[in-house]
Amino acid sequence: MTIARMITLILTGTLGTLAFTLLFRMRKRLILWAVLCGFLTTALYVLCAQFMDHAFFQNLIPALFATAFAEVLARITKAPTTPYIACAIIPLVPGGALYYTMYHFILGEMDLFHEKLIETLRVSAGLAVGIICVSAVMQIINRKHTPKHS
Amino acid sequence: MAENKANTHQILTVAMDIGKSMIRCGAEINRVEETVTRICSAYGAESTEVFSIVSMIVATVSRADGSTDTQTRRIYSYSTDFEKLDKLNALSRQICRETPAISDVQRALDEIEGDTRHLLWYVGVGYALAGFAFALFFGGTWKDAVVSAAIALVLWLLTSFVKVQGLSKLFFTALSSAALGFLAVYAEKLGLADNASMVMIGDIMLLIPGLLLINSVREMLCGDLMSGLLRLLECIILALAIACGFAVPILLFK
Repeated sequence: MTIARMITLILTGTLGTLAFTLLFRMRKRLILWAVLCGFLTTALYVLCAQFMDHAFFQNLIPALFATAFAEVLARITKAPTTPYIACAIIPLVPGGALYYTMYHFILGEMDLFHEKLIETLRVSAGLAVGIICVSAVMQIINRKHTPKHS
Repeated sequence: MAENKANTHQILTVAMDIGKSMIRCGAEINRVEETVTRICSAYGAESTEVFSIVSMIVATVSRADGSTDTQTRRIYSYSTDFEKLDKLNALSRQICRETPAISDVQRALDEIEGDTRHLLWYVGVGYALAGFAFALFFGGTWKDAVVSAAIALVLWLLTSFVKVQGLSKLFFTALSSAALGFLAVYAEKLGLADNASMVMIGDIMLLIPGLLLINSVREMLCGDLMSGLLRLLECIILALAIACGFAVPILLFK
Protein backbone atom coordinates (compact mmCIF):
# COMPACT_ATOMS: atom_id res chain seq x y z
CA MET A 1 0.00 0.00 0.00
CA THR A 2 1.36 3.43 -0.88
CA ILE A 3 1.22 6.30 1.60
CA ALA A 4 -1.25 8.16 -0.64
CA ARG A 5 -3.57 5.17 -0.67
CA MET A 6 -3.36 4.87 3.12
CA ILE A 7 -4.29 8.51 3.56
CA THR A 8 -7.17 8.13 1.11
CA LEU A 9 -8.43 5.11 3.04
CA ILE A 10 -8.32 6.91 6.38
CA LEU A 11 -9.95 10.09 5.05
CA THR A 12 -12.73 8.35 3.13
CA GLY A 13 -13.34 5.91 5.98
CA THR A 14 -13.80 8.82 8.37
CA LEU A 15 -16.07 10.54 5.86
CA GLY A 16 -18.07 7.32 5.66
CA THR A 17 -18.50 7.32 9.42
CA LEU A 18 -19.70 10.93 9.32
CA ALA A 19 -22.17 9.97 6.57
CA PHE A 20 -23.63 7.18 8.67
CA THR A 21 -24.03 9.37 11.76
CA LEU A 22 -26.30 11.54 9.58
CA LEU A 23 -28.03 8.54 8.07
CA PHE A 24 -28.82 7.00 11.45
CA ARG A 25 -29.89 10.43 12.73
CA MET A 26 -27.49 10.61 15.65
CA ARG A 27 -27.81 13.63 17.88
CA LYS A 28 -25.64 16.56 16.81
CA ARG A 29 -23.59 16.68 19.99
CA LEU A 30 -22.57 13.01 19.59
CA ILE A 31 -21.53 13.23 15.93
CA LEU A 32 -18.05 14.59 16.57
CA TRP A 33 -17.28 11.81 19.05
CA ALA A 34 -18.54 9.14 16.67
CA VAL A 35 -16.40 10.57 13.85
CA LEU A 36 -13.35 10.53 16.13
CA CYS A 37 -14.06 6.88 16.94
CA GLY A 38 -14.44 6.11 13.22
CA PHE A 39 -11.22 7.94 12.35
CA LEU A 40 -9.15 6.02 14.91
CA THR A 41 -10.77 2.70 13.95
CA THR A 42 -10.06 3.19 10.25
CA ALA A 43 -6.49 4.29 10.98
CA LEU A 44 -5.96 1.17 13.08
CA TYR A 45 -7.48 -0.95 10.30
CA VAL A 46 -5.06 0.52 7.75
CA LEU A 47 -2.13 -0.26 10.04
CA CYS A 48 -3.38 -3.81 10.62
CA ALA A 49 -3.93 -4.34 6.90
CA GLN A 50 -0.34 -3.26 6.34
CA PHE A 51 1.25 -5.62 8.82
CA MET A 52 -1.09 -8.62 8.88
CA ASP A 53 -2.13 -11.06 6.20
CA HIS A 54 -5.21 -12.65 7.65
CA ALA A 55 -8.52 -10.88 7.02
CA PHE A 56 -9.86 -12.14 10.35
CA PHE A 57 -7.18 -10.44 12.44
CA GLN A 58 -7.12 -7.35 10.22
CA ASN A 59 -10.70 -6.71 11.27
CA LEU A 60 -10.71 -8.24 14.75
CA ILE A 61 -8.27 -5.71 16.19
CA PRO A 62 -10.03 -2.55 14.91
CA ALA A 63 -13.36 -4.05 16.03
CA LEU A 64 -11.98 -4.64 19.53
CA PHE A 65 -10.74 -1.08 19.62
CA ALA A 66 -13.96 0.43 18.22
CA THR A 67 -16.14 -1.38 20.75
CA ALA A 68 -13.90 -0.50 23.70
CA PHE A 69 -13.67 3.14 22.62
CA ALA A 70 -17.43 3.25 22.03
CA GLU A 71 -18.02 1.99 25.58
CA VAL A 72 -15.77 4.75 26.92
CA LEU A 73 -17.50 7.39 24.78
CA ALA A 74 -20.89 6.13 25.91
CA ARG A 75 -19.84 6.66 29.52
CA ILE A 76 -18.45 10.14 28.85
CA THR A 77 -21.40 11.37 26.80
CA LYS A 78 -24.09 9.40 28.70
CA ALA A 79 -25.41 7.87 25.47
CA PRO A 80 -25.98 4.29 24.28
CA THR A 81 -23.00 2.32 22.94
CA THR A 82 -24.47 0.74 19.82
CA PRO A 83 -24.69 3.89 17.65
CA TYR A 84 -21.01 4.57 18.25
CA ILE A 85 -19.99 1.01 17.35
CA ALA A 86 -22.22 0.98 14.28
CA CYS A 87 -20.84 4.23 12.86
CA ALA A 88 -17.21 3.46 13.65
CA ILE A 89 -17.27 -0.05 12.21
CA ILE A 90 -19.07 0.86 8.98
CA PRO A 91 -15.84 1.28 6.93
CA LEU A 92 -14.81 -2.28 7.88
CA VAL A 93 -18.09 -3.85 6.77
CA PRO A 94 -17.23 -6.17 3.86
CA GLY A 95 -19.23 -4.44 1.12
CA GLY A 96 -16.46 -4.85 -1.43
CA ALA A 97 -15.89 -8.51 -0.58
CA LEU A 98 -19.63 -9.21 -0.83
CA TYR A 99 -19.73 -7.56 -4.25
CA TYR A 100 -16.76 -9.52 -5.58
CA THR A 101 -18.18 -12.78 -4.16
CA MET A 102 -21.33 -12.22 -6.18
CA TYR A 103 -19.42 -10.93 -9.21
CA HIS A 104 -17.14 -13.97 -9.52
CA PHE A 105 -20.01 -16.33 -8.87
CA ILE A 106 -21.96 -14.87 -11.78
CA LEU A 107 -19.00 -14.99 -14.12
CA GLY A 108 -18.42 -18.61 -13.10
CA GLU A 109 -14.91 -17.97 -11.75
CA MET A 110 -15.24 -20.51 -8.97
CA ASP A 111 -11.74 -20.24 -7.49
CA LEU A 112 -12.05 -16.48 -7.08
CA PHE A 113 -15.62 -16.92 -5.84
CA HIS A 114 -14.46 -19.24 -3.04
CA GLU A 115 -11.64 -16.91 -2.13
CA LYS A 116 -13.93 -13.89 -1.85
CA LEU A 117 -16.66 -15.82 -0.05
CA ILE A 118 -14.16 -16.94 2.59
CA GLU A 119 -12.89 -13.38 2.85
CA THR A 120 -16.41 -12.04 3.40
CA LEU A 121 -17.02 -14.61 6.12
CA ARG A 122 -13.64 -14.00 7.76
CA VAL A 123 -14.16 -10.24 7.87
CA SER A 124 -17.67 -10.64 9.30
CA ALA A 125 -16.42 -13.14 11.88
CA GLY A 126 -13.57 -10.80 12.84
CA LEU A 127 -16.00 -7.93 13.41
CA ALA A 128 -18.47 -10.10 15.34
CA VAL A 129 -15.82 -11.67 17.59
CA GLY A 130 -14.29 -8.26 18.30
CA ILE A 131 -17.62 -6.80 19.36
CA ILE A 132 -18.50 -9.90 21.41
CA CYS A 133 -15.21 -9.96 23.35
CA VAL A 134 -15.38 -6.35 24.49
CA SER A 135 -19.14 -6.43 25.15
CA ALA A 136 -18.70 -9.54 27.30
CA VAL A 137 -15.97 -7.90 29.37
CA MET A 138 -18.13 -4.78 29.76
CA GLN A 139 -21.03 -6.91 30.95
CA ILE A 140 -18.90 -8.32 33.75
CA ILE A 141 -17.58 -4.88 34.71
CA ASN A 142 -21.06 -3.33 34.70
CA ARG A 143 -22.43 -6.10 36.86
CA LYS A 144 -19.74 -5.49 39.45
CA HIS A 145 -20.33 -1.75 39.74
CA THR A 146 -24.06 -1.31 39.43
CA PRO A 147 -26.35 -3.84 41.09
CA LYS A 148 -29.06 -4.90 38.67
CA HIS A 149 -32.39 -3.18 39.19
CA SER A 150 -35.31 -5.48 39.60
CA MET B 1 -50.19 10.32 43.12
CA ALA B 2 -50.93 9.52 39.55
CA GLU B 3 -50.36 5.82 40.02
CA ASN B 4 -53.61 5.34 41.91
CA LYS B 5 -55.70 6.96 39.22
CA ALA B 6 -54.33 5.02 36.29
CA ASN B 7 -55.69 1.52 35.91
CA THR B 8 -53.55 -1.48 35.08
CA HIS B 9 -54.68 -1.57 31.49
CA GLN B 10 -53.70 2.05 30.82
CA ILE B 11 -50.30 1.56 32.38
CA LEU B 12 -49.46 -1.46 30.31
CA THR B 13 -50.83 0.18 27.17
CA VAL B 14 -48.52 3.14 27.46
CA ALA B 15 -45.51 1.00 28.43
CA MET B 16 -46.06 -1.31 25.47
CA ASP B 17 -46.52 1.60 23.07
CA ILE B 18 -43.17 2.99 24.14
CA GLY B 19 -41.61 -0.47 23.77
CA LYS B 20 -43.02 -0.82 20.29
CA SER B 21 -41.73 2.59 19.24
CA MET B 22 -38.30 1.68 20.57
CA ILE B 23 -38.11 -1.50 18.51
CA ARG B 24 -39.24 0.43 15.45
CA CYS B 25 -36.26 2.77 15.92
CA GLY B 26 -33.80 -0.11 16.13
CA ALA B 27 -33.42 -0.57 19.89
CA GLU B 28 -31.78 -3.62 21.43
CA ILE B 29 -34.28 -6.13 22.78
CA ASN B 30 -32.99 -6.23 26.35
CA ARG B 31 -33.36 -2.44 26.49
CA VAL B 32 -36.97 -2.73 25.37
CA GLU B 33 -37.80 -5.39 27.95
CA GLU B 34 -36.09 -3.39 30.66
CA THR B 35 -37.94 -0.20 29.71
CA VAL B 36 -41.36 -1.88 29.75
CA THR B 37 -40.59 -3.44 33.13
CA ARG B 38 -39.35 -0.21 34.65
CA ILE B 39 -42.29 1.87 33.46
CA CYS B 40 -44.74 -0.66 34.86
CA SER B 41 -43.00 -0.84 38.22
CA ALA B 42 -42.80 2.95 38.36
CA TYR B 43 -46.60 2.97 38.26
CA GLY B 44 -46.82 0.39 41.01
CA ALA B 45 -46.86 -2.96 39.21
CA GLU B 46 -46.05 -5.81 41.56
CA SER B 47 -44.69 -8.04 38.83
CA THR B 48 -44.08 -7.56 35.14
CA GLU B 49 -43.30 -10.42 32.79
CA VAL B 50 -42.06 -9.26 29.40
CA PHE B 51 -40.88 -11.25 26.44
CA SER B 52 -39.85 -9.59 23.24
CA ILE B 53 -38.36 -10.48 19.90
CA VAL B 54 -37.84 -8.12 16.98
CA SER B 55 -41.36 -8.58 15.64
CA MET B 56 -43.36 -9.01 18.84
CA ILE B 57 -43.70 -7.92 22.49
CA VAL B 58 -45.77 -9.84 25.03
CA ALA B 59 -46.21 -8.60 28.58
CA THR B 60 -48.30 -9.32 31.63
CA VAL B 61 -48.46 -7.02 34.64
CA SER B 62 -50.12 -7.62 37.96
CA ARG B 63 -50.63 -5.16 40.76
CA ALA B 64 -51.07 -5.48 44.49
CA ASP B 65 -54.84 -4.85 44.20
CA GLY B 66 -55.14 -8.09 42.23
CA SER B 67 -55.71 -6.55 38.80
CA THR B 68 -53.76 -8.06 35.92
CA ASP B 69 -53.47 -7.24 32.27
CA THR B 70 -51.82 -8.88 29.27
CA GLN B 71 -51.11 -7.24 25.96
CA THR B 72 -49.18 -7.99 22.81
CA ARG B 73 -47.71 -5.73 20.16
CA ARG B 74 -46.77 -6.86 16.69
CA ILE B 75 -43.95 -4.98 14.96
CA TYR B 76 -43.96 -5.26 11.19
CA SER B 77 -40.99 -3.18 10.21
CA TYR B 78 -38.17 -1.36 11.83
CA SER B 79 -35.44 1.02 10.75
CA THR B 80 -32.73 3.04 12.45
CA ASP B 81 -33.50 6.38 14.01
CA PHE B 82 -31.24 7.14 16.96
CA GLU B 83 -32.70 10.60 17.44
CA LYS B 84 -36.16 9.25 18.08
CA LEU B 85 -34.78 6.42 20.20
CA ASP B 86 -33.02 8.97 22.32
CA LYS B 87 -36.24 10.90 22.89
CA LEU B 88 -37.99 7.67 23.87
CA ASN B 89 -35.23 6.82 26.35
CA ALA B 90 -35.47 10.32 27.84
CA LEU B 91 -39.24 9.93 28.12
CA SER B 92 -38.99 6.59 29.89
CA ARG B 93 -36.40 7.97 32.32
CA GLN B 94 -38.73 10.88 33.03
CA ILE B 95 -41.61 8.47 33.65
CA CYS B 96 -39.58 6.44 36.13
CA ARG B 97 -38.50 9.61 37.94
CA GLU B 98 -41.75 11.54 38.09
CA THR B 99 -44.57 9.08 37.25
CA PRO B 100 -46.60 11.72 35.40
CA ALA B 101 -50.28 11.23 34.58
CA ILE B 102 -50.86 8.61 31.88
CA SER B 103 -52.52 11.14 29.58
CA ASP B 104 -49.40 13.32 29.70
CA VAL B 105 -47.21 10.36 28.79
CA GLN B 106 -49.55 9.48 25.94
CA ARG B 107 -49.34 13.04 24.65
CA ALA B 108 -45.55 13.08 24.84
CA LEU B 109 -45.40 9.77 23.00
CA ASP B 110 -47.77 11.01 20.30
CA GLU B 111 -45.54 14.04 19.89
CA ILE B 112 -42.46 11.87 19.37
CA GLU B 113 -44.32 9.53 17.02
CA GLY B 114 -45.90 12.41 15.09
CA ASP B 115 -42.50 13.64 14.03
CA THR B 116 -42.50 11.87 10.67
CA ARG B 117 -40.94 14.32 8.30
CA HIS B 118 -40.23 12.24 5.24
CA LEU B 119 -37.43 14.16 3.63
CA LEU B 120 -34.75 15.17 6.05
CA TRP B 121 -32.06 16.98 4.14
CA TYR B 122 -29.23 15.82 6.35
CA VAL B 123 -30.18 12.18 5.87
CA GLY B 124 -29.90 12.83 2.13
CA VAL B 125 -26.50 14.41 2.68
CA GLY B 126 -25.58 11.29 4.65
CA TYR B 127 -26.55 9.01 1.76
CA ALA B 128 -24.60 11.05 -0.79
CA LEU B 129 -21.54 11.34 1.44
CA ALA B 130 -21.53 7.62 2.16
CA GLY B 131 -21.80 6.73 -1.54
CA PHE B 132 -19.03 9.18 -2.36
CA ALA B 133 -16.69 8.11 0.45
CA PHE B 134 -17.02 4.36 0.01
CA ALA B 135 -16.52 4.42 -3.76
CA LEU B 136 -13.15 6.05 -3.08
CA PHE B 137 -12.48 3.81 -0.07
CA PHE B 138 -12.73 0.68 -2.17
CA GLY B 139 -10.47 2.03 -4.89
CA GLY B 140 -12.69 3.99 -7.27
CA THR B 141 -11.77 7.24 -9.02
CA TRP B 142 -13.23 10.70 -8.40
CA LYS B 143 -15.66 10.24 -11.26
CA ASP B 144 -16.86 6.95 -9.77
CA ALA B 145 -17.34 8.62 -6.40
CA VAL B 146 -19.47 11.43 -7.84
CA VAL B 147 -21.67 8.99 -9.78
CA SER B 148 -21.95 6.80 -6.69
CA ALA B 149 -23.09 9.80 -4.64
CA ALA B 150 -25.71 10.66 -7.26
CA ILE B 151 -27.02 7.09 -7.26
CA ALA B 152 -27.04 7.11 -3.46
CA LEU B 153 -29.39 10.10 -3.64
CA VAL B 154 -31.72 8.04 -5.84
CA LEU B 155 -31.68 5.35 -3.15
CA TRP B 156 -32.47 7.98 -0.53
CA LEU B 157 -35.51 9.12 -2.50
CA LEU B 158 -36.60 5.51 -2.98
CA THR B 159 -36.34 4.68 0.73
CA SER B 160 -38.06 7.94 1.69
CA PHE B 161 -41.03 7.63 -0.61
CA VAL B 162 -41.57 3.94 -1.28
CA LYS B 163 -43.02 2.83 2.02
CA VAL B 164 -45.70 0.51 0.77
CA GLN B 165 -46.91 -1.65 3.64
CA GLY B 166 -47.15 -4.82 1.61
CA LEU B 167 -43.72 -4.50 0.04
CA SER B 168 -41.34 -6.44 2.24
CA LYS B 169 -37.93 -5.14 3.16
CA LEU B 170 -36.38 -8.11 1.41
CA PHE B 171 -38.12 -7.49 -1.89
CA PHE B 172 -37.50 -3.76 -1.64
CA THR B 173 -33.77 -4.36 -1.07
CA ALA B 174 -33.48 -6.71 -4.03
CA LEU B 175 -35.41 -4.37 -6.35
CA SER B 176 -33.53 -1.24 -5.36
CA SER B 177 -30.22 -3.11 -5.67
CA ALA B 178 -31.11 -4.06 -9.22
CA ALA B 179 -32.17 -0.48 -10.03
CA LEU B 180 -28.95 0.97 -8.60
CA GLY B 181 -26.94 -1.62 -10.51
CA PHE B 182 -28.56 -0.62 -13.81
CA LEU B 183 -27.85 3.05 -13.13
CA ALA B 184 -24.21 2.25 -12.38
CA VAL B 185 -23.76 0.15 -15.52
CA TYR B 186 -25.35 2.84 -17.69
CA ALA B 187 -23.17 5.51 -16.09
CA GLU B 188 -20.13 3.51 -17.12
CA LYS B 189 -21.47 3.03 -20.66
CA LEU B 190 -22.09 6.78 -21.00
CA GLY B 191 -18.57 7.49 -19.80
CA LEU B 192 -19.68 9.23 -16.62
CA ALA B 193 -17.92 6.68 -14.44
CA ASP B 194 -14.69 4.78 -14.99
CA ASN B 195 -15.59 1.54 -13.30
CA ALA B 196 -19.17 0.43 -12.62
CA SER B 197 -17.96 -2.04 -9.98
CA MET B 198 -16.63 0.73 -7.76
CA VAL B 199 -19.85 2.70 -8.11
CA MET B 200 -21.85 -0.36 -7.13
CA ILE B 201 -19.66 -1.14 -4.12
CA GLY B 202 -20.06 2.43 -2.88
CA ASP B 203 -23.82 2.04 -3.00
CA ILE B 204 -23.82 -1.50 -1.58
CA MET B 205 -22.37 -0.08 1.62
CA LEU B 206 -25.62 1.86 2.08
CA LEU B 207 -27.78 -1.22 1.76
CA ILE B 208 -25.66 -3.61 3.75
CA PRO B 209 -27.16 -4.32 7.20
CA GLY B 210 -24.12 -3.55 9.36
CA LEU B 211 -26.09 -2.36 12.36
CA LEU B 212 -28.21 -5.50 12.21
CA LEU B 213 -25.11 -7.66 12.60
CA ILE B 214 -23.91 -5.61 15.56
CA ASN B 215 -27.29 -5.75 17.29
CA SER B 216 -27.50 -9.45 16.51
CA VAL B 217 -24.21 -10.43 18.19
CA ARG B 218 -24.80 -8.13 21.15
CA GLU B 219 -28.25 -9.56 21.72
CA MET B 220 -27.06 -13.15 21.56
CA LEU B 221 -24.44 -12.26 24.12
CA CYS B 222 -27.09 -10.80 26.43
CA GLY B 223 -29.00 -14.06 26.25
CA ASP B 224 -31.65 -12.87 23.81
CA LEU B 225 -30.97 -15.79 21.51
CA MET B 226 -34.26 -15.59 19.66
CA SER B 227 -33.85 -11.95 18.63
CA GLY B 228 -30.18 -12.40 17.93
CA LEU B 229 -30.79 -15.35 15.64
CA LEU B 230 -33.69 -13.63 13.89
CA ARG B 231 -31.52 -10.60 13.19
CA LEU B 232 -28.59 -12.75 12.06
CA LEU B 233 -30.85 -14.62 9.69
CA GLU B 234 -32.28 -11.34 8.37
CA CYS B 235 -28.75 -10.08 7.89
CA ILE B 236 -27.78 -13.11 5.79
CA ILE B 237 -30.97 -13.03 3.75
CA LEU B 238 -30.59 -9.29 3.09
CA ALA B 239 -27.00 -9.84 1.96
CA LEU B 240 -28.28 -12.49 -0.47
CA ALA B 241 -31.00 -10.11 -1.68
CA ILE B 242 -28.41 -7.40 -2.34
CA ALA B 243 -26.23 -9.88 -4.24
CA CYS B 244 -29.17 -11.11 -6.33
CA GLY B 245 -30.27 -7.56 -7.10
CA PHE B 246 -26.87 -6.40 -8.31
CA ALA B 247 -26.40 -9.66 -10.19
CA VAL B 248 -29.15 -8.80 -12.69
CA PRO B 249 -27.48 -5.80 -14.40
CA ILE B 250 -24.10 -7.55 -14.34
CA LEU B 251 -25.53 -10.66 -15.97
CA LEU B 252 -27.25 -8.63 -18.65
CA PHE B 253 -24.43 -6.24 -19.52
CA LYS B 254 -21.08 -7.89 -18.84
